[in-house]
Amino acid sequence: MKFKQMGIFSKACVVWLGLVMFFVVFGQFIPLPKPTDFDIEAMGVGLFDSWKHPLGTDSNGYDLLSNAILGARPSMLISLVSVFIGGIIGSTLGIIAAYKRGKLDYIVNTVFNIVLSIPNLVLGLALVAVLATNPDPNIEVPTSRRVFVIVLSLTIVIVPILGRIARGATLSWSNREFVVAARSMGMKDSKIIIKHIVPNVLPAIYAVGFLAIGVVIVVEGSLSLLGVGIVDGVSWGSMIARVRGDLEFAPHSMLVPVTILALTVIACNQLGDVLRSRLDSREGRL
Amino acid sequence: MKSTAPLQRLVQLLLVVVGSTFFVSILIRLLPVGLEDIYVVNPDPVGRAKEISDLGLDLNPFAFYFRWLSGFFRGDFGSYVYPGPTLEPVSEHITRTLPVTLQLIVYVQIVALAFAIPLGLVSAYKVGTRVDRVISNGLFIFSSVPSFVIALLLAFYIGVQLGWVPPLGYAPPFCSAEDIDSATACGFGEHFKLMVLPVVSLSIPLIASYTRLLRTDVIATLREDFVTMAASKGLSNRRILWTHVFRPSSITLFTSAALNMGALVGGALVIETIFSIPGIGFEIALAIGSRQYFALQAYIAIIAFGYVFFNVLVDLTVGLIDPRAKERRK
Repeated sequence: MKFKQMGIFSKACVVWLGLVMFFVVFGQFIPLPKPTDFDIEAMGVGLFDSWKHPLGTDSNGYDLLSNAILGARPSMLISLVSVFIGGIIGSTLGIIAAYKRGKLDYIVNTVFNIVLSIPNLVLGLALVAVLATNPDPNIEVPTSRRVFVIVLSLTIVIVPILGRIARGATLSWSNREFVVAARSMGMKDSKIIIKHIVPNVLPAIYAVGFLAIGVVIVVEGSLSLLGVGIVDGVSWGSMIARVRGDLEFAPHSMLVPVTILALTVIACNQLGDVLRSRLDSREGRL
Repeated sequence: MKSTAPLQRLVQLLLVVVGSTFFVSILIRLLPVGLEDIYVVNPDPVGRAKEISDLGLDLNPFAFYFRWLSGFFRGDFGSYVYPGPTLEPVSEHITRTLPVTLQLIVYVQIVALAFAIPLGLVSAYKVGTRVDRVISNGLFIFSSVPSFVIALLLAFYIGVQLGWVPPLGYAPPFCSAEDIDSATACGFGEHFKLMVLPVVSLSIPLIASYTRLLRTDVIATLREDFVTMAASKGLSNRRILWTHVFRPSSITLFTSAALNMGALVGGALVIETIFSIPGIGFEIALAIGSRQYFALQAYIAIIAFGYVFFNVLVDLTVGLIDPRAKERRK
């Protein structure tokens, strides 16, 4: 879709996500106070109160703007990577199962249902808690392993969500005339899937993929709130978890990460929604 | 809805329960740390071996699972294991915490439906007008705000700064003798005061998604012949909306409300932690934090059973709400 044709709200969402992605890539090169440097002379500075700290500081004197900007990278990378990998696995499974039908379809569908029967957050929490344990509870699990486990768990959460969409779309496309024609001309199944099914199923997956990014950002934030997210990282979720106790002294220190996280989720949902309604109207014309 | 025979559907649902509990069972045996190293601290090799076999940890994963499953169906939900080993039945925790969460979820569903039904009807009836746009767009933004964000903001601004209601805590609706003795908060007044914030923060995103579902279906129903018929008989618009349009349009709404019960347990997990409500979500978080994996398995089994129960409930009641749905499925 052309940027010009979008509504004003969608444009704002694209701009916001563009900004977030800019910070994901270039956040480190922006000259800002280090997120871990606390400014002892400026603790609990309010929003827009000082030039040095535009978004203020929390009660420890950490600069909120730099924390928020550098928090974009872990938050967004975790969600993008897990949605990407989960999407590839899920849609491959979903497409093949729906195309082949029969037993394979039954098995795949049952597995999707099993994973979906456990709420996202409970599943994510259980996976992270189980996979990121150390023999000695007093030794912290290294951050890299924690990030890996979180991405793995969120991927498992995403697989059935996108897989079911891919399966549903494939079921409706695989009976269309052009697919039947291709099959009757002796085209190989693998080629039919790649040439005819995948291009038609992809738009639906993109649309739900955007929504899935929103889901993952929320689950990651909740995991941090529950104390099993990235502990020493500065993702938005862990930022919220850290400033939770600060509310009384510096309420805006909660407002900053919470607003940024909510805006990002809203933007992802809106774009997913636009894509989906465009898809529906295209289908409607057929 | 697919047209699978009821028996086949039941088999599939049972597979879900067995599958999800088996999945957790395998998961906890895959721990980077053996469970025996967490739960068994007896230095004496003979006593140690006995404790390990008491917990069933010497069995292979399949036997371990079947031991657990047969226990579960006999009403033995497993135990919290503390070094010693001291066992504490999970069922005690469940009977204490599950009602609290169910209560919360029921409140949330009632509030969400009470707002979503009128909003959905109005915005569908006035589709395309400014009223519809304001409702739909406003709710869209709310549906995207995570409920823990709403919860944290409400707890601070309403609970702490304005001080209208306590920012956290829980009070049972009925006072037991113990509560009166220890002078803990209880009774309806206290109960509802404390439940306002958690219920609001969980129901706002739900109101938005329910309104959307109902709006789409009502728009479709309004095009049906029987609606034109009712209008030409001279019935008032209000009457048509409530008696002729609402019921056939409400299937998707009630289906998704029922299937949401499980997802709400996940939402309740964070909300209960934020507001320190002693429900099953909070209990799950505690169990995971204190490495009580047997308890975790029981909780996930209960959630999976809930999922199956509500799926069956939906299958059984869809026909009651709209008899046409039953015809279509045959």
